[in-house]
Amino acid sequence: MMGAFNKRITGWEWLGAAAVLILLVLLPFVASSFQLRLAQQVLLFGGVALAWSLLGGFTQYWSFGHAAFFGLGAFTAGLLAQALGHGISGPVKLLLGLALAALINFAVAAVMAMPVLRLRGTYFAIAMLALAQVLGEVSKTFDIFQGSMGFVLQRIAVPGLNSVQTFYLLFLLFAVANVAIFVWVKRSRIGMGLTCVGQDEDTAAMLGIPTERYKLLAFVLSAVLTSIGGVLYAYSLAFITTDTVFRIDISLNLILFSMVGGLGTVAGPFIGAAIMIFITQVVLGGLLHLHFLVTGAILVFIVIAAPTGIIGLRNRLPGLARRATGSEART
Amino acid sequence: MNGVILAQTLVDGLILGGIFALSAAGFSLIFGVLGIINLAHGIFVLIGAYIGLAIGRETGIDPLAALPITVIVLYVGGYLLQRTLVAAAVRRGSLMSSLLITFGISLMLRDLILLAFGPNVQTLSSSWLLPTLHWGSVLIDGARATGLIASLVLLGLLSFLLYRTKLGRAMRATAQEDFAAGLCGIDVDNVYASTFGLSAAFAGASGIIIGLINPFVPSDDNYWTLNAFVVVVLGGVGSPMGALLGGLLLGAISTFSSQYVGSLYPNVFIFGTLFLMLILRPNGLLGSAYKGSV
Amino acid sequence: MSILSLEGVGKRFAGLRVIDGISFEVTERSITSIVGPNGAGKSTLFNIISGYLKPTEGRVAFRGETITGLAPYHICRRGIARAFQISKPFPELSLRENVLVAANFGRAGERDVDTVTHQALDICNLRPVAAQQARTLSIGNLRRLEIARAIAARPLLLLADEPCAGLNDTETRELSEVLLRIRDSGITVLLVEHDLKAVRSVSDRVIVIEAGRQIADGTADEVFADQAVIDAYLGVPMT
Repeated sequence: MMGAFNKRITGWEWLGAAAVLILLVLLPFVASSFQLRLAQQVLLFGGVALAWSLLGGFTQYWSFGHAAFFGLGAFTAGLLAQALGHGISGPVKLLLGLALAALINFAVAAVMAMPVLRLRGTYFAIAMLALAQVLGEVSKTFDIFQGSMGFVLQRIAVPGLNSVQTFYLLFLLFAVANVAIFVWVKRSRIGMGLTCVGQDEDTAAMLGIPTERYKLLAFVLSAVLTSIGGVLYAYSLAFITTDTVFRIDISLNLILFSMVGGLGTVAGPFIGAAIMIFITQVVLGGLLHLHFLVTGAILVFIVIAAPTGIIGLRNRLPGLARRATGSEART
Repeated sequence: MNGVILAQTLVDGLILGGIFALSAAGFSLIFGVLGIINLAHGIFVLIGAYIGLAIGRETGIDPLAALPITVIVLYVGGYLLQRTLVAAAVRRGSLMSSLLITFGISLMLRDLILLAFGPNVQTLSSSWLLPTLHWGSVLIDGARATGLIASLVLLGLLSFLLYRTKLGRAMRATAQEDFAAGLCGIDVDNVYASTFGLSAAFAGASGIIIGLINPFVPSDDNYWTLNAFVVVVLGGVGSPMGALLGGLLLGAISTFSSQYVGSLYPNVFIFGTLFLMLILRPNGLLGSAYKGSV
Repeated sequence: MSILSLEGVGKRFAGLRVIDGISFEVTERSITSIVGPNGAGKSTLFNIISGYLKPTEGRVAFRGETITGLAPYHICRRGIARAFQISKPFPELSLRENVLVAANFGRAGERDVDTVTHQALDICNLRPVAAQQARTLSIGNLRRLEIARAIAARPLLLLADEPCAGLNDTETRELSEVLLRIRDSGITVLLVEHDLKAVRSVSDRVIVIEAGRQIADGTADEVFADQAVIDAYLGVPMT
């Protein structure tokens, strides 16, 4: 939540963004498989965190249960793939899965929006947490959803690319699409309206901002994009259960990535995801059992010491700003 | 409907409810006095159970006898946690920051439990349990009955603390209006920390009782946090009576849904209830006992 | 030419008559003030005009069309803006951004947002502090921000709710000038104010209400010399 509204995107920013994009497209042909797996996660979860930010980045409506949409997307795609049987090729199944997941999440989010968006602050957060838990439990306990046994998804193979490269590029596409949508929302009247909702919802309504409509729009869009991330994730794993997608730590990580990087910024969730994934999987790669300890400590530290995230820190230290003026950061 | 099954379900529900009530009383207290949703609550419950386990292993002391030690350890731990991290989050001003801080604390503590005890399922056993009773054809499990009695005694103690002692009065005054309480000479920071300590202590005590009845694993903490939230949402914020009412209702919902709908998914009903209550009556069935909910 | 007219507007809360048979017309491009003791019904009247309350009887018409009972949002879109006594800015946004938001939303229709924002800031003398964060402002600036935001919504009629309350003499004088500039820019102003010196210096017309009834209506000089007004409200004649 910073900077002036409708600030022009400068030529340098376009250039920087293009340079980053080219590097990201070339990466799968130079990086090792391990490095590429890390980059995959940064793009996917950074992208989903950006989808979370469509509502949470501007307003105080912080969903603690976005795993609900993520998991719903993954399960929709999985169950659909199973229902379609083996006669249909993987890519077609993937596309159909994306379409159906988007549709179902659109419907679910639109129905949920009215009651949950009436709740403010912490109540909204807990209601979303409960929603994710309910969906997770339902997927696990009712046999038709097969959540406890899980199901296998067909491998997507593209000639000339291995599986890691393929999904890396898919996740990149997903991330780029989310960046485009986020930038569009942020620079539109909707972004301005949502920022005002984040500051003082009653005053925003009084000034003629259609707060209910904007909140609904951001919530539904956020849910649909998150579910698309869930579908892609499911296909990249090729095998999912309730415990791989309806995970409370996925919900939490979306918030954490956004906070570490900088709330309400475009680059923030990706920077946050990169830092957190680097710390947990490279620095602590051999110490799996310390992940939660470190994640928790970083969360506590960020809230107390740097609530505006890395980008916020940069803005507070103008000296650093010159050197670090990055690519897609400021829009 | 079979009368015996109905009576048995009711009895089971009430017993479970009493224990739920104790497990949620501390959560409710923090919510009422500090206005914070403590996402580390469930981990406090579990820490109680694990302390009981550790004491039993090292010294052979019965978990119920270890209860006072657990209470003291958690009181001190909760007090210090509030004074340091949680107070810093509250100073940050936003409700979200306290939610995030307590979530971060729960992650760290859960990992520490994992490091100390491993991921396996654990149980507590006590030689002080009541024998299983038969009341007509209705069966009252000894462990559960013991747990219920201990829970009611502890809830009574909490009521006494809140309504009959100086600290309790200070806590209630602070809950109503912290600024004015400060002007009246109440050390508000100390009240906040004491509330947190007391809440952790009662959560830990309930952990021992829960450990006697159910097996537990380190990842149960979210369940107990959300469970406490449901109790508070059902019964209202802040008072032990509200917690008791909410606990009994939740116990009944839990046992009736497993008896008559399906034993596999009581959690679906518990979290479903939470979700519905938030949407329909976010201040609880009775409204809030202390200051208006956020 | 009248822009707003009230015809026999009354409001009862559970049998208690708060206002009763209020009728007046507000002339376009004028400043009309409503004064009266506390509890006379001034705020109720404002709430009725801006749509927060529905009158129990009577009609409110804006530019010839009945607006009685419309929602605040619709009334705002038609061109009635309200500046509250207790201003609630968006604290993290700069003053300019606060005004910009109102210019972007507010009354329906085409506009050049930047021009509207600049004009509103100029009229309210806020240009020098436009880059400041709203939460750092003094009460005088905050009050003018509230008004700037209201006029950036490009209303035809501005309802100003005790804009001078709590301000010192300098700030009050500055605010009076702001109100005159707003009128001169073509916006009609309806003012509720306790500071009678300010009322006298800006008003084209003053309406006095007491206990829910209209007891005087005229120019400031006429009204403040009226014996009924002196008895009911002023106590002693104004000097």
